[in-house]
Amino acid sequence: MGKVVFDVHYQTTLAFLISYYFYCTGLSAGSFMISTMSYGFGMTKYKPASKMGVVAAVLLLLLAPQFLLMQVGWPIKSVWNHFVYFNPVSAMSYGAFLLMLYPLNSIIYGIFMFKGNMKLTKIFGLIGIPMALAVHGYTGWILALAVARDYWNTGLMPIVFLFSAMVSGVSMMILLIMIRDRFFTKEKVINKDLVVSLAKILGWLLVVDLFLVFCDYSVLLYSKLEGKEVAHFMLFGKMSFFFVVVENLIGKIIPMIIVMIPRTRNSYFWLTVAALMNMVGILAMRIVTVYGGQALPLM
Amino acid sequence: MSNPHEDKKEGKKDLPRWGMVIDLDRCVGCHTCEIACKIENDVPLGIWRSWVKEIEKGRYPNVVRAFRPTLCNHCEDPICCKVCPVKAAWQREDGIVMVDPHLCVGCRYCMSACPYEVRYIHPLKGMIDKCDFCHNRVDAGLQPSCVEACPNSARIFGNLKDPESEVSRLIATRPVARLKPEMGTDPRVYYIGFDPATLEIKREAELIWEK
Ligand code: SF4
Ligand code: SF4
Repeated sequence: MGKVVFDVHYQTTLAFLISYYFYCTGLSAGSFMISTMSYGFGMTKYKPASKMGVVAAVLLLLLAPQFLLMQVGWPIKSVWNHFVYFNPVSAMSYGAFLLMLYPLNSIIYGIFMFKGNMKLTKIFGLIGIPMALAVHGYTGWILALAVARDYWNTGLMPIVFLFSAMVSGVSMMILLIMIRDRFFTKEKVINKDLVVSLAKILGWLLVVDLFLVFCDYSVLLYSKLEGKEVAHFMLFGKMSFFFVVVENLIGKIIPMIIVMIPRTRNSYFWLTVAALMNMVGILAMRIVTVYGGQALPLM
Repeated sequence: MSNPHEDKKEGKKDLPRWGMVIDLDRCVGCHTCEIACKIENDVPLGIWRSWVKEIEKGRYPNVVRAFRPTLCNHCEDPICCKVCPVKAAWQREDGIVMVDPHLCVGCRYCMSACPYEVRYIHPLKGMIDKCDFCHNRVDAGLQPSCVEACPNSARIFGNLKDPESEVSRLIATRPVARLKPEMGTDPRVYYIGFDPATLEIKREAELIWEK
């Protein structure tokens, strides 16, 4: 209605570094899930992916907190204070513990896996699953509990985060397995069975992910002032290129079609394209969520 | 560890509950409170603890300027204190919401959770800073700097628990509004003659982060 003559603008709160942090924990959680499929649940088809999965999970989870520490004003103090002044009602409080325990557990799990101790591998793998879910799910809760932002403040947020984590993790595993088999083994033959079944999983995960996005937006478009405004901003406004084209079209819909059609699913070229597109799309999703969610001023 | 602020809450009985009433019928939009706050609290360039949002409505000759002095609402149920992972955002027994510079790590979570956007990162300290009702002055029996500076006495500060105080009298007898009560934070800054148009969020054309 009115025209603003003077107002004070807030600073951007959570920036790109947080998007990268979410992206890395997501990839880590996703690849950890793949690695537990054979040792934890006895799906031996996925065994060749296990070792690679756990190594990727650990490395990414060591990388992820670095982005977080770069973002906070007082990195060393933050590590100390998180443990000493624990605030049980803050979702972020639990992060420090998860970010320590989950890589530790993954390392133990990996060591037993490389030593070939099946029983202990299974135990630590099963312990790791809820941790992997938590370490990524809690990042969704962080956003969901910021009540001021309608885009974040939804119960779907942790679930959306979990699914996008698994999607990007599976894509990364497909790429890594193809690279390893092609260039770093003696036979130089890609394990087609494994890659194609991972691609099938990717397809179904993408279906669920797209459905969740649809649920989220259909409710947002009918919600209150800020929710509507932010949904328009994402769909038709300045964020639409990143949200509609990069995240959903390039990142989810086209890869889903590629892995759903048997002809393209069985082609390594198309699989590589699909996995790469999906990884770019999920990175866009993190940036859209973190940045777009707070792009609109609140009052 | 238990609450690091326990010792600061000693002798809590019969404490006041501080709050503010802003009478917009008296406000002329002179921004004096803004300047007084900047001077009192040594707020660096580019950020404000309290500011006066100003909008223009209508077409000539039917035009008006509406003002909305903005500050931390010192909410009764402050979301900033709930989300802070290290208990750096905390509330005194008399209701003033504080930031503990020894604890704050600058994670900015509270900034994104506060529905009123009154928290900012202090560029020199790298941690959160915001209006604290000039607690040093209040503890010494003085009024907050903005209240004292206002030439039209549009800002009134006082004890909400005391039914005889000026703030309680105004809240009881005048139509008062609070900002975004639907956020569930139960703010303790009341506005008389409030124009909701000053609350409307800006369209995309005026987005901040493009500038
Ligand atoms: S206005 Fe914001 S910063 Fe102030 S107490 Fe309420 S939630 Fe906290
Ligand atoms: S920036 Fe400081 S006050 Fe705000 S949530 Fe983080 S530690 Fe708490």
